[in-house]
Amino acid sequence: MIYDAPVYRTLGDTALNVEFGDETSITLNFRILALDQIIRAHPLKGVIESNPQVRALGLIYDPLATTRDRLIAALRELIAAQGAVDRLPSRRVIIPALYDDPWSRECAEAFGVRNNIEYIAEFNRLTVAQVIEWHTACDYWVTGVGFVPGTFVSYAMDPRKRFGAPLYRTPRTWTHSRLLNFGGNTSTIYPARVPGGGQLFGRTPINIFEPAQRNRIFRDGPVLARTGDRHRYVSISREEYNEIRAAVEAGTYDYQVEEGVFDCAGYMSWLASLGEPPEKRDPDATWQRS
Amino acid sequence: MLEIIDPGPQTSVQDVGRQGTIVLGIPPSGAQDAFSLRAGNLLVGNPTGGPLLLRRDPGAAGLEILLGGFKARALADLVVAITGAQVGVTVDGVTVPQWRAFLLRKESVLALGMSKAGARAYLAVHGGVEVPPYLGSRATHMRGQFGGLEGRTLRKGDRLPIGAAQADPGALIGRRLAPKHIPTLAQPWRVRVVAGPEEDIFTSESVDAFYATEWKLNPKSDRTGMRFIGPALSFKPGRPRYLIDDAGQDPSNITIDPGAPVGTIQVPSGVEPIVLGVDSPTIGGYARIATVITTDMGAVGQARPFERVRFARTAYDDAVAAIRAQDAVIAESSVLG
Repeated sequence: MIYDAPVYRTLGDTALNVEFGDETSITLNFRILALDQIIRAHPLKGVIESNPQVRALGLIYDPLATTRDRLIAALRELIAAQGAVDRLPSRRVIIPALYDDPWSRECAEAFGVRNNIEYIAEFNRLTVAQVIEWHTACDYWVTGVGFVPGTFVSYAMDPRKRFGAPLYRTPRTWTHSRLLNFGGNTSTIYPARVPGGGQLFGRTPINIFEPAQRNRIFRDGPVLARTGDRHRYVSISREEYNEIRAAVEAGTYDYQVEEGVFDCAGYMSWLASLGEPPEKRDPDATWQRS
Repeated sequence: MLEIIDPGPQTSVQDVGRQGTIVLGIPPSGAQDAFSLRAGNLLVGNPTGGPLLLRRDPGAAGLEILLGGFKARALADLVVAITGAQVGVTVDGVTVPQWRAFLLRKESVLALGMSKAGARAYLAVHGGVEVPPYLGSRATHMRGQFGGLEGRTLRKGDRLPIGAAQADPGALIGRRLAPKHIPTLAQPWRVRVVAGPEEDIFTSESVDAFYATEWKLNPKSDRTGMRFIGPALSFKPGRPRYLIDDAGQDPSNITIDPGAPVGTIQVPSGVEPIVLGVDSPTIGGYARIATVITTDMGAVGQARPFERVRFARTAYDDAVAAIRAQDAVIAESSVLG
């Protein structure tokens, strides 16, 4: 659900989450990104970091420079003054991917489970070919960056093509780097060799995290993804994978990133025309948080 | 320079951590027990940086030495202080006290024994460990493989560059922290927390059990998270059905949100609460029963495997007062000699 008014959650003595709802929603994320932009443009006293995620904005602040109450009062004012979000800056990033790749298969074998893309297909009553077709059929909106350095959270922008599969019950102790994966209907990529429970279905030859910052795309920071990016996955062959990987390793790959502005209002009208409900409710739920 | 002869179980270069990188998915890193590193830097005349999570500046870098067992040779005259865990410090076999600046002469060997109390010792050196800063800090993030020395823990043979001496380093020798400010390192560790942000989705019996239990530190703990062995906690029934798709099937799953800061206590599936450490993930997806207050993260970082920890509920205002009080200790007025 989406709350009537944001809830301010206290996380210890230096963090405050401004929580707008308890569901994943791209349109809710627009409001959070718009608030994040206002805070970046007009910093609030004492705020050290602002971390926008799908349903909440995380703030880290110095309680010796401001107080929690003063911060909440300032946020209330900003939010009250906030109109509907018409447009947001948004880059479009092309992510080439080798689907049903040998590295994902190897991880599945190493942990004694079946090839994850076959499980994803079965879970969604699709064929493996359809899984690839669906995942490349629409843009994915990056609702937040984080978890481990370089990774991000994204959701299919076309609700008719939104799908996924549950996380592993017991996470793997390692995963090859750069593997595409689903955790529920969240689509993301492991930036490096890390543990994880996502269902693996492809590998990108491009770096989404480059601590050495060799490629010029990483000139301003080691992380490719930014909140509000639109990712578009493109299915490539093994030969193309090898060529792109060689260019990435040489630091010469030309990342396909286009700066732009996204028409949020138009997107919301389009969702409404599809008959998408504006929020999710469960009338039988006996607890409702607020 | 300081040459590593034996790094012990795990030694890394740390300052008090990065600021402004959570939005990139990069946690602060830095000393798990920031007070001990800051006190060490104070004694050896270095910038101490701000209190943990209020990293106005990262301060000078030193070494975080897990469980002791560390040995190094000075390649120049250095002024050093060892703080944090009680490790038994010797220079060329002669015992030197902790929480006190001393001269480590060129070619002398500094040795730390295995810790007798506490888990993390800190080496502060006048001039600081001068590895190149990464994103504004020298803190090592081991999993991310950046910061510190080549983004990794130290190995035998590593030679650490030490910053140039300021003014008169000899005048620093013998400076010690007033005994009343030296933390007592004894279990059961008392760790103060602020309730929530998701305390309300746990059953009230489980909330009571959380505070009544003497938890034991799981040895599978690290700077990402410190896990505690104890009773299983449970969640209230009546969870909205759409959360199965949006958050996950387990009652402990919440829809992704900014999981920072360090110190939140996640309880995946109600089993083994995890206090998120300085290298923790920057977003969360598990219910958090409480959040460790800034000043008590050091105590969590000093607990050794299987040691007992009690969590104590604290008012928000008292947590902020504790930051102010602890920060006030990092001042010349706390230095004797």
